[in-house]
Amino acid sequence: MPIIHLPYNYLEELTGTDRKTIIERLPMIGADIERFEDDHTDVEFFPDRPDLFSTEGVARAMRGFLGMETGCPHYTVAPSGVTFSIDPKLEGIRPFLGSAVIRNVSLDSERIETLMGLQEALHWAVGRGRGKVAIGVHDMDTVTGPFAYIASPRTRSFVPLDFEEEMTLDEIIQRHPKGIDYAHIVDQFDLMPLIVDTQDNVLSFPPIINGELTKVTGKTKNILLDCTGTDERAVITAVNIICTALAEGGATIESVEVNGTPMPSLAPRTRRVSVDECTRLLGIELDAPAMAALLAKMRMGAHPVGDRYLDVTIPCYRADIMHDWDVFEDVAIAYGFGNFDAELPASFTIGREHPVNIIAGAVRRIVAGLGFVEMMPFTLTSERVLFSNMQREPAPGALRILHPISEEQTTVRTDILPLLMETLQINHHRELPQRIFSTGDVVEGEETFQKVAAVSIHTDADFSEIYATADALLRELGLVYTVEESGDPAFIDGRRGDIIIEGQKAGVFGEVSPAVILNFELDQPVAALELDLRVLRA
Amino acid sequence: MEELTYNEKRLMVALNTISDGVPAVLAGELNTTEEAVVQFAHLCADKGIATLERTVRVDYVLTDEGKHYSALGLPERQVYASFEGEIPMKDLQAHPLSRIAVGWMKKKGWITIDKGVVKKTGEAPEGDDERALCDPSAGGEGMAELIRRGLVEEREKVSYRITITPRGRQLVADGLDLREEVGAITREQIISGAWKELNLRRYSVGKLPKKVWPGKVHPYQHLIDEMRQILLEMGFEEMQGSIIQSSFWNFDALFQPQDHPAREMQDTFFLAEEATLPDGWEAVRDVHEHGGTTSSSGWGGIWNQDKARQKVLRTHTTGLSIQHLTTNPEPPVKAFCIGRVYRREAIDPTHTPEFEQLEGIVMDEGVSFRHLMGFLKEFYARMGFENVRFRPGYFPYTEPSVEPEVWVDGLGWVELGGAGIFREEVTAPWGITTPVLAWGLGVSRVAMLRMGLTDLRQLYRSDIDWIKEYPFYAGGRI
Repeated sequence: MPIIHLPYNYLEELTGTDRKTIIERLPMIGADIERFEDDHTDVEFFPDRPDLFSTEGVARAMRGFLGMETGCPHYTVAPSGVTFSIDPKLEGIRPFLGSAVIRNVSLDSERIETLMGLQEALHWAVGRGRGKVAIGVHDMDTVTGPFAYIASPRTRSFVPLDFEEEMTLDEIIQRHPKGIDYAHIVDQFDLMPLIVDTQDNVLSFPPIINGELTKVTGKTKNILLDCTGTDERAVITAVNIICTALAEGGATIESVEVNGTPMPSLAPRTRRVSVDECTRLLGIELDAPAMAALLAKMRMGAHPVGDRYLDVTIPCYRADIMHDWDVFEDVAIAYGFGNFDAELPASFTIGREHPVNIIAGAVRRIVAGLGFVEMMPFTLTSERVLFSNMQREPAPGALRILHPISEEQTTVRTDILPLLMETLQINHHRELPQRIFSTGDVVEGEETFQKVAAVSIHTDADFSEIYATADALLRELGLVYTVEESGDPAFIDGRRGDIIIEGQKAGVFGEVSPAVILNFELDQPVAALELDLRVLRA
Repeated sequence: MEELTYNEKRLMVALNTISDGVPAVLAGELNTTEEAVVQFAHLCADKGIATLERTVRVDYVLTDEGKHYSALGLPERQVYASFEGEIPMKDLQAHPLSRIAVGWMKKKGWITIDKGVVKKTGEAPEGDDERALCDPSAGGEGMAELIRRGLVEEREKVSYRITITPRGRQLVADGLDLREEVGAITREQIISGAWKELNLRRYSVGKLPKKVWPGKVHPYQHLIDEMRQILLEMGFEEMQGSIIQSSFWNFDALFQPQDHPAREMQDTFFLAEEATLPDGWEAVRDVHEHGGTTSSSGWGGIWNQDKARQKVLRTHTTGLSIQHLTTNPEPPVKAFCIGRVYRREAIDPTHTPEFEQLEGIVMDEGVSFRHLMGFLKEFYARMGFENVRFRPGYFPYTEPSVEPEVWVDGLGWVELGGAGIFREEVTAPWGITTPVLAWGLGVSRVAMLRMGLTDLRQLYRSDIDWIKEYPFYAGGRI
């Protein structure tokens, strides 16, 4: 989650109260305070509330939560006269554009930092790493409308931000740091998105990089905003959040005509919700006016419709309100999570252990009773550990992970015994004898099931010891079994047995082959057993 | 005074009659070795009932070479005797001992050497060394020279003298139980009643025994079982399911949008295999695209079936919960699961790609957010966290959502799990209209708090000594 940087002075100025009050209450609207510094605090908000990713947005919410300014904020949007056209060839590449003119900004360093922070956080949370939405802000006084959002040949060149020389679009995605980072979003297209002004000056190569020409500085007075993307709703959300945040900071918002349609409107939307449904969900007693008052603290407008309904006005920046219950959560937050009277429901239910865990518990008690210490190794492992170290053929049902993070973890285990051998390796320097076991999930193909394995390492570990252990385990599990000579290459020929239950091989035991012992960098005799616990299924 | 052993008592009795205790004599008396007598005497001396006087005497003993020369004389004497007056060096060198002897003869002033001729000086008196060689016990000036020449060795001889103290005499006078001490009791002695008459050897309780190590359940499993026990006591039914899940159950059925970062290959382990979608998948599609039958707007866009078919290693056990509800649609349902879940994380002290998650759900008529808090408080209290507070939270599949925090002395408020009420977008596609409370908890976090671990890897790649030393019963619930 992005870290939001809140400078105290700017936050106090916007909120109209002291930092102590703000910081004390911040966690109760969902902020996770990461750290306090002399001049600012860093906080995390949940990804469903991108409207809180700026100092302005936090101040707006806190004024409501503290009761200083409640209800749905109103933003006026006057027409700017600026127009934008969208090239139809962008359909299938990056078809959506949102825009606005933001006038009379006064950007000191704190405000520039908060704007850049908001932009980055929105790229992450709403833009999904710029694929869905990418945002550009431009010093509007450096260019001249009307503007065009076009599909450009890759040979077109301009001076990208923080560079001095012109580069072609191809060069940018190959060499510019941002180009390298985001090339995957546009690299598959013959034409690439570009924003130009009426004199064919390049403002931006979305979603990669802006032009140097329109760079926003402390002297910038008017901003042209562009949000391009593949999802119209997300594009509009980003426009709304940036415009309203800057409006909170004192700027005026003006609309741009995009293909003839003015945007943004910044108008709230409404939703009629049921008071009863809310009180049932939350378990608290509220009438319509009380609920309306709570929503007002969350910066929503709410007007009772009779006793049982509210018409709720939801500010345009609250993209997270998708469902009535999202409104009810805001009621709960305004009510205060600490004010809920926690209670257990009255209905009667009976606890029941799952059969798999009944079996696992029995196995643990038996094998621990035989003097073995339980281990809980990973279920992700490698084919080297599972098969080649064990001298075994790869199991046909072994599942490979598509993009493993390391060579040690490429496969879901089909057996537990190899993991125990690895655990012995980890404990190589520890005193002998060591007797360890493990029981748990293994996966073959479609099926997750359980096995148990046990190993004994010491100078006298041998066939008789492990046969006696296997025999005790099987007897205590109430299983009738026979043993046949095994062909398992992990064990020494003539010192290995297959456990046969109802005509099926259910396990194996014996003296581990010295080659296997050496593969796990061990040097003492090892005797081992493994049993498939499916034999215990009813 | 500490009780005397049988052997100490026998020594005291013997000392009481033998006034001058020489170990050899006492050993005969007690029918044991001198070493044993000294050992018993040490113990008696510690108790103040005897004294043990140790004397060290140095003896000079001829080495084998020394013995040889003791009979024939030192090499220089032998060679000196082998010629008269003078002799050319080269002739003298024919003598086997000449190499040793010439130097010594010259050093002792018995000869001069001039132009290859050895000539006696006429003065060759018997030296201290030769006298000492004849009688090593006499010692004397020459002994040091013989030791340096390796012809004599010094040997320390330790001797002991043991005497009884007045206190010891009093002890013997008061009477001692001199029945023989017995170590092991035999079957015959138990049956016959002879055990009553035995003088059983007393053992020292201050000496620690040799450690034995029992087989045992892993401490982490023990903690997991404790949590399971709490939930079973609270009336929850246990769920169990496959590690491999379709993206449909793991994400889509939980209203996780298809472009959610958790669904990217950087965060989740995907498999090449594909699953088939269950009956009723269309309702999930609808809820994603436009909210279906609910008041939700949905996520918009086109919901992609193929993405839902991708198999993953489950990233949480919540997918099991919703599947459990689809097969158990009648309230009340209270179910839980503790199972391994998988996230694509590199292994380091605080991250492992697999870890345990606890998951609980309650579906019942009339349950509310207040009851969710009630369950959480009860569960945490039973885990030993008496002080719980709730903060707003966010999970894609619950609304409202809450993050419980527990107070831990020394750490303050610690976030421990997440909870909420299943969104209608999650339950409505399956016709579930009863509210479902849900919560989850990272079990390994509790383990770290409980066991004081700083490295999660200890749970999965355990040091066997850590498990051996970790008390099975570590004071019960946190």
